[in-house]
Amino acid sequence: MGEETKKILEMLHQGKITVEEAENLLAAISSENPSREGSTKNAGARKYLRVQVESEKEGTRVNVRIPLKLIRAGLKLAAFLPNGAQSQVNHALQQKGIDLSKLTPADLEELVANIDDLSVDVEGNADVEGKQKVRIYSE
Amino acid sequence: MIPVIVRLEVRNQNQKGMVLFLPVILAWIFVFALLIAVLPFVLVVALVTIGQGLGKRLLLFYPFFFATVLALSGLRIDVKSSANGKVFISFD
Repeated sequence: MGEETKKILEMLHQGKITVEEAENLLAAISSENPSREGSTKNAGARKYLRVQVESEKEGTRVNVRIPLKLIRAGLKLAAFLPNGAQSQVNHALQQKGIDLSKLTPADLEELVANIDDLSVDVEGNADVEGKQKVRIYSE
Repeated sequence: MIPVIVRLEVRNQNQKGMVLFLPVILAWIFVFALLIAVLPFVLVVALVTIGQGLGKRLLLFYPFFFATVLALSGLRIDVKSSANGKVFISFD
């Protein structure tokens, strides 16, 4: 019996999920590719978040490698920002259309914990500001 | 592992520039010595302000700061531009 199956059964036993939900979860596990376990192990070994930006305009290339440990530590250290500074940061971000005020530290922790599987590819509009490509992934 | 050397590379569009290897370990020694020197005062302030919540924050600052410094190792920032040259920063 796999560990995931055990967890599902434990959750069912504790009443955290219904029989139907457990059935769905077990079905999802059994239908998954057998190679998934291997890829999960690899994901756990991932250490860095890589951000690559390529822009045709001026031929700019940005390549940043951030240790995942640094992100986690930085999130904890960010909690020491005075409330006034945090509200100023949120206000500045809101002016750019980004609202992070509802994002709790717990949400951020969860985001970082699951960042292993993250892979984002964005291609900009070539007509507006030259062709831009942004790639974010973990390695 | 704590970053020992920071490699800073700055080049212009003609690939002329400089590469600096900064022994950042010396800065850490200075910072850690400073943090230890002010620790008694921090503890006093933390005890006085613990009711307001600031004390707990002050006490937790030390482990979180050390964790951040230790995690810096491996950070790399590489910016290349055909018009402006190249900037490369690496914490090793």
